[in-house]
Amino acid sequence: MASSGGAVPFWRAAGMTYVRYSNICASLVRQCLKEPYRSESLSREKVHFSVSKWVDGKPEKPVVREDSAE
Amino acid sequence: MAMASFRREGQRLSSMLYSHSINALKSGVSSQELAPVGARSISTQIVRNRMKSVKNIQKITKAMKMVAASKLRAIQTKAEKSRGLWQPFTALLGDYPSIDVKKNVIVTISSDKGLCGGINSTSVKMSKGFRKLNSGPDKEVKYVVLGEKAKAQLVRDSKKDIEISITELQKNPFNYTQVSVLADDILKNVEYDALRIVFNKFHSVVSFVPTVTTVLSPEVVERESETGGKLGDLDSYEIEGGETKAEVLQNLTEFQFACVLFNACMENACSEQGARMSAMDSSSRNAGEMLDRLTLTYNRTRQASITTELIEIISGASALTG
Repeated sequence: MASSGGAVPFWRAAGMTYVRYSNICASLVRQCLKEPYRSESLSREKVHFSVSKWVDGKPEKPVVREDSAE
Repeated sequence: MAMASFRREGQRLSSMLYSHSINALKSGVSSQELAPVGARSISTQIVRNRMKSVKNIQKITKAMKMVAASKLRAIQTKAEKSRGLWQPFTALLGDYPSIDVKKNVIVTISSDKGLCGGINSTSVKMSKGFRKLNSGPDKEVKYVVLGEKAKAQLVRDSKKDIEISITELQKNPFNYTQVSVLADDILKNVEYDALRIVFNKFHSVVSFVPTVTTVLSPEVVERESETGGKLGDLDSYEIEGGETKAEVLQNLTEFQFACVLFNACMENACSEQGARMSAMDSSSRNAGEMLDRLTLTYNRTRQASITTELIEIISGASALTG
């Protein structure tokens, strides 16, 4: 994981944040498990919320994010 | 003069109402359920209906209290374990609410559902107070709102300052992945120098304290540590791995925000369940008191009507014989 001073790690260069990178690694680890632990831990990965940006004091249409750890 | 006569009229009317409805007033029946003018007392049917509905309400609130208690137990262990996530960050990067930056973003965490006491209003009050504290020339403050209740309250007077609003957070039981995706979204869409997260910290079942934690952006951290300000001894740490300090700081602050937000969401959820428990408890107690009062009124009216019937029978009989 050491990189030459000044060069960014590959995921940062690809536009990912550290949080997203660690989430992807975590989901990879979760998929390595065997049953029954696998389904238990995959249930800890569910994501559901609805975001709506506000412009000039008015909410836009809310977008529901229902992916699993994307 | 006209006002005086109006007042006299009003007093006369109210005294008339009083004499007709002295029983009704004692039991708190609303004016639409009063017996028609001329009847001697309220019919027992009305009181019985009211007793039935109050009893149902008492059962429902008791059930809600049990549900909140069981949910609280489940979340409480999770919240206490999540405290270990951000404590190293505070030890390293510090938590300075008094830091003075240009772009403040206030993240207010609240619940989606109601009936949970006053915790949402205290969070919103605190956020508004912070906004006042941080407003000034060339300083801007924006809100990121989590939860329906805070959104409803903030929309009323701070519509222009809301940046993003997020709802439907509690559909699945809390996990770190959801909160980190949320944190990621917020970080991507909002420019900030300092993020202030306002939530209710859970101390015990009866005490929820509104608190604020501050997460700084990497530029501000760099600036503070260079000028030897509050984070002056950050440079005394060694950095492994050949990454530059700026990169490390960026990773750290992103991760710090996700962890702090996770803990804040859990604590707020605990506080919400605890507040709902105590609200439902006091509500069922009030319903019980109301039921007692209604029972007394009911018995009194029942006995009064029986007595009147007896009197009529006896006086009729004595009129016939005597």
